[in-house]
Amino acid sequence: MPDLPATDPAGTPAAEGAAPRDTSPCDTAPRDTAMSGSAAWAALGAAGHLARVYRGGDVRRGIDVDGLADVLATADARWSIPATLSASVQLATALPVLATGTGPAVEHALTRTLSGTATLALAATDTTAGTDLTALRTEAAVDATGVVVTGGKEWITNATTAESFLVLARHRPGRHFANFTWVLVPADAPGVAVRPARSALYAGSGAGHVSFDAVRLGREHLVGRVGFGLPVFARHIAVERLAGALWGVALCRRVLDGTRRRLAGREHREGTLWSRSHVRQRFAAALVRVRELHALTERSAPAVAGHYDLQAAATLKAAAGTTVPYVLGECAHLWGAAGFADGGMQEIRAQAALFGIGGGTTEVVLETVAEGAERVLGDLGREVLPL
Amino acid sequence: MDPRFTDLLRPFLKHAGPGDLAITPETDLRRLGVDSMQAIELLFQLEDGFGIQLPDEDMNDATFATAGSLWRAVAAQLPGEESGRVTA
Repeated sequence: MPDLPATDPAGTPAAEGAAPRDTSPCDTAPRDTAMSGSAAWAALGAAGHLARVYRGGDVRRGIDVDGLADVLATADARWSIPATLSASVQLATALPVLATGTGPAVEHALTRTLSGTATLALAATDTTAGTDLTALRTEAAVDATGVVVTGGKEWITNATTAESFLVLARHRPGRHFANFTWVLVPADAPGVAVRPARSALYAGSGAGHVSFDAVRLGREHLVGRVGFGLPVFARHIAVERLAGALWGVALCRRVLDGTRRRLAGREHREGTLWSRSHVRQRFAAALVRVRELHALTERSAPAVAGHYDLQAAATLKAAAGTTVPYVLGECAHLWGAAGFADGGMQEIRAQAALFGIGGGTTEVVLETVAEGAERVLGDLGREVLPL
Repeated sequence: MDPRFTDLLRPFLKHAGPGDLAITPETDLRRLGVDSMQAIELLFQLEDGFGIQLPDEDMNDATFATAGSLWRAVAAQLPGEESGRVTA
């Protein structure tokens, strides 16, 4: 095995090799792949970029698709996949869900998070299977004076850095969709315990597990209507799926660009690796897949951002969940042995497997796509002209 | 039942089979395809369409069991309406 460059493959001097340098801002931005998700969030807040993700800078007015795409592409260009995940979850889901609530506790957390001063963890996935949300066990005992939260959440992004947790809990037994409610739980409340997840791949996202031991809070910590936990989550997970597709396009573009530079700079016989037809075709096939994802995202974004179209969001998630791992897998292969460097393409490829898992596995979202098959086929149809 | 209600409900009954289904108070919503995700979307459309909020005590399986039970819950929130009078 040759010497391995201990560098990030996309957009670094070693990756660029002898290839001419693209002058787009995305590629000239300095990368700091060691920056944590919370530090990245603070940097975005300090630069005033977080508010641009929402129409008029107001979370309650909904997502501004271009603003969201810009901020995710910026995070992807500058920081690691775990750090970008940390921002994506807060922007697309945690903040919009929090904004369904009112009152001083909600407004305080909203202001601090939107300014980048604090991070907010979305704590939905329970100790039970993430694909079976209605089986979650974390309880919110609600009465006239307040709420008591008891249970545990696992694999929560931003868990180790969050100032508050937005906890999806059941306020009554049973699987009915109206049995769940959001509760805003301060990380320093008595009874809250956090432990980091043992994950070298995702430590930068603040991934961790959190337990709630009879955490007693006032009713002002209930977020939104009691019983609307799942309906609100269903709407906003649609936006998270759009965010995943937007980020997936940016990530694939960046990695393909770095890979092309690498291939163009690697001598091979009388040319370079980029001049080899089988290499070019393999690269081009990946490029086609990214164009497909980009086109689908552009077409679906208004429906998802405008009226939470769950079918469109599921289609986007299914596409991103297969396209991103495919493209990064191809790039990792084209990097050869150098892909195994610390922080190299193979590590990025492994991290990007998340696109097929987080926010709904590919299998789960394909079920949603299948449910709407009739509508999709109708949309694809054209009038058959009389002869 | 208000025609606006049945018009809004009809697209959610994806297992109704070919042809126009006559929606009656006894129409079984779950059997005709209103699962949890569909019920969530139906809930939002009803609340947005009629400008109402269903109370917490109506957010249960019994309310979403039939077209009639769901219409009764909706109509009870309509000002000056027939308070849940159910006719086909």
